[in-house]
Amino acid sequence: MLSYSRSFEKFLFSNVEKSLPFSIAYSTEVKKEVKEEFRVLNLKNVKRQTQPKRAQKQLEALPPRTNKMPVDQDWGSVWPGPRSFHPASVPLPVRQGYVEKGVAPDKYANAELIKIPNFLHLTPPVIKRQCEALKKFCTPWPKALENDKECEKHFPIEVTSSDYCHSAPTIRNPLARIVTIKFKLSSLNLNERAKDKFLRLVGERYNKETDTVAIVTDRCPLKKQNYDYAMYLLTACYHESWNVEPWEELKSEADMEYYDWSKNASKKSVEALFGKQTEDIPNVKEYSEAVSTLMNEGESEYSVTKYGDSVRKLLGLPDAPKT
Amino acid sequence: MLNSQLFLKRYNSLHITPKINSFIQRLFSAEAEEKIEIPKRIHRGPTDILRALEATISRDPTAAHYKYHDDPYLIPMSNMGKRTFAMAQESGRKAAHWIRKEHADLFNHREADPVIKAFLPVVSFNEQSDITEDNLKQVIDDVLVSEAQLAYKLLKDKGVDISEETRQALLELLCYTNDTDILSEEFIEERWFRQTTKSKEKQRKIWKDNSLAEEIFISIENPTAETYSAMIQGMCKYFQVDKAWHLYEESQEKGLILTSDAYSSLLRVVNFLKESFEMKWALTEELLQKMNEAKVKPNLTTLNSALHSVSTMGGGKNQKDLALKVLKEFKGLGIEPSLGSWYYILITFCKERGPISTVLHDIMPEIENKEHHCLDLSDTYFFVTAMDICRSQLNDVELGRRVHKLLHFGNNYNLIGDSYKESIYYRHYFGLMMNNMPFEEFMQNIYNMLVPNIYVPEPGVMAEVLKQVDLNGSVEYVAQLWSDMIIFDHINRENLIESILNILDSNKPEAESNLIEVFSCIAWDLFKRLEDEGDNRFNKLRLTGDQLGKVMILLLWNKDFQKACLIFDKLDQEQHTIVGVPKIEALSMFIDSCIENKMPSRAIACLQYCSDSGFPEVEELGVKIHKSLTLDENNLAKLTKIAGNLS
Repeated sequence: MLSYSRSFEKFLFSNVEKSLPFSIAYSTEVKKEVKEEFRVLNLKNVKRQTQPKRAQKQLEALPPRTNKMPVDQDWGSVWPGPRSFHPASVPLPVRQGYVEKGVAPDKYANAELIKIPNFLHLTPPVIKRQCEALKKFCTPWPKALENDKECEKHFPIEVTSSDYCHSAPTIRNPLARIVTIKFKLSSLNLNERAKDKFLRLVGERYNKETDTVAIVTDRCPLKKQNYDYAMYLLTACYHESWNVEPWEELKSEADMEYYDWSKNASKKSVEALFGKQTEDIPNVKEYSEAVSTLMNEGESEYSVTKYGDSVRKLLGLPDAPKT
Repeated sequence: MLNSQLFLKRYNSLHITPKINSFIQRLFSAEAEEKIEIPKRIHRGPTDILRALEATISRDPTAAHYKYHDDPYLIPMSNMGKRTFAMAQESGRKAAHWIRKEHADLFNHREADPVIKAFLPVVSFNEQSDITEDNLKQVIDDVLVSEAQLAYKLLKDKGVDISEETRQALLELLCYTNDTDILSEEFIEERWFRQTTKSKEKQRKIWKDNSLAEEIFISIENPTAETYSAMIQGMCKYFQVDKAWHLYEESQEKGLILTSDAYSSLLRVVNFLKESFEMKWALTEELLQKMNEAKVKPNLTTLNSALHSVSTMGGGKNQKDLALKVLKEFKGLGIEPSLGSWYYILITFCKERGPISTVLHDIMPEIENKEHHCLDLSDTYFFVTAMDICRSQLNDVELGRRVHKLLHFGNNYNLIGDSYKESIYYRHYFGLMMNNMPFEEFMQNIYNMLVPNIYVPEPGVMAEVLKQVDLNGSVEYVAQLWSDMIIFDHINRENLIESILNILDSNKPEAESNLIEVFSCIAWDLFKRLEDEGDNRFNKLRLTGDQLGKVMILLLWNKDFQKACLIFDKLDQEQHTIVGVPKIEALSMFIDSCIENKMPSRAIACLQYCSDSGFPEVEELGVKIHKSLTLDENNLAKLTKIAGNLS
């Protein structure tokens, strides 16, 4: 009981102690009020005049930190990554925007500067430094592969695929599965017939202008599978083009898609005319080419003239009179 | 801001396996004539590139820590501000965690692929839930103590058998955490700002008796060595030493071989088990002997525990020899000491009241120019202790610089510990450099580099800086220091205000220098700030009469008569609440300015104040006023009343 009462006393005492300064503060306030205005008895609870607002404490902010920046500071550390422009961190007197009269607005509170992407994090010294840092992950270039020609010779296939990095919850991207392989047709070991067949097999994947074949595979779900599939396609096409099916022998002149002089009546008549094998006849090559051009590319003034000239040459006739 | 997803596309050549390569080679006509050696890919981890890029960036002294927004309005300025801002962020994070827990049903969408576990709601159980041992294993792996306790109880109520392994894992978890939930690793800010260094307070029994851990221990019929080890480690960690010793003896009777960590934890509490130095050491030796007999290989923890016990053992000179002996013995076993071991050596050799020891000189070559990793909990104490010794024992700048360099070598800064240790470290570094460097150089190289973003000087340190300013008479820094004091919220410190006014008052600048204006600005700002602080502030600092006098002098140097008048008005009106009176120099200077500005009534009011305060110079001043000003009757009467007969 005793202890209880004592603790109560203590409690009371401490309470009084605490409330003391408050009561004092209160009393001074009342005094001030009395001094300032006459208090009205407000029975109907009419809205009183608004009390004078307490002056708001002004928010103090540091001066922009550009003031403190030394001239020789390391900019790469100040602006290490991509971020929106901030006037207090960029010590440049940049201006952006347009006003009808006067100069362009300065950097403070300038939305135009915030909107445009900046490359302040990729200054030349920073790029140099980062390249130096990444060098330890790089291996030296093989000595034997000095120029593009060498590379093409030793590594005729170019394989292309893509990785994607984006800000989304998932790290997968369906486009990453696509694999493209490219190679020059001339780098394949093919003869005339096989080449013809190969081109028929690959169809529009062959680009005649650059002599490259591009195979794009995207039917499998994974990159690796698509790559393997592309390699399979290449191998299959290659071997298939060397294959000669029995029905391929049945190809007659009517099936030819272009005029081949050596397989045609023209050759036979020339041989009959001279009574020799083609190889022994002088100037026959020019003649055969002229005939092929005429037949394959159609009649034009050039091809007809060329044909005429080659016939004269073949038969040993004098040149056509110049008109 | 960016609505569209950012796609980064990278072209890469697939790695061609040798088998396919040779196969493809055959297809192509060109034969490789000379051998092409393509070098092997240099192995790199998933974050190695990022780390390499990060290593190119150094700390920018003008920027706040990157956890704060880089904006003048949002950069915290004082120590308090730094803490508040960071904790506010943390509190937001906690609120998010709470929402996720309260509305777990709303967070079951799984957009991420692969699934990110941290985004999913935490598991929770109740009586109805269909619970299995796997659930228990899961919560143990996730270090969710209360969930694990609940799951265990539910399993027991249902009569499900729990395997020995799971039971052991649960026991270890409970022993490690003392049956209480621990702060998640996610809350780094709270961990950073939490003060864990109150070690003296923690050195008492906080192990929960009759807790679930003990219950589980009893329920295990044939306790293995691991079970005993877990219990002993837990009890030693939370200072239930008697029971721990009892369990140790029990295990020895049964002939069980404990783990080295259990022995280490016993070594750590040797001081609680025995009384005198000799007995403590004997017990340490006995335990190490037992380890040897049981063929248990000691590790770094054993070394640090032994050193910890030695460092707190007492025993004078013996203690130092023993510490070195222990260190040597363990080195022979191939156990390299970590920074924590050196910390124990330091505290063994450098006692506060003991003789000065230069052991740090011998330690530095061992650890310099190396990157250290956190191997033991005590590693984080090294830097703060080393800097303390550099300053308060050795007062050796060169050594201090070496310690500072080591701290910034590689990733060693991770070993600074927490915010509390960091600020103590810088406090010592600051003190060391300040006392041993030319003041100007100190301000340029140390103060401007560290303050305010890396370190905010505490009021005590600020007082020392001001003392140095006073000693060196480098008054040109006062303006900077004053503005820093405002930012750091030091303006309510009486001693700082006092010393800043003293410095200004006692270093009167040349008449033409612009410092006069600067001084008066500081003085006026100081007065204004303390005035405007608001009456409702509980411990409002009130300037004394003397201080107000100094403010007045500073203003009058700059001929700010109007402002000086305001100060005088305050002095005059609140005579009864203001402690003390200004010096007579201030008052006479004010009267001089009144004369200069032809303000007889003010001059007389001041004279009245002088006479009220009982200065003997009243008469002299009265004569001066009378001579220099033409007074009307009224004023003349007043003057005679105050100063008596003037003729």
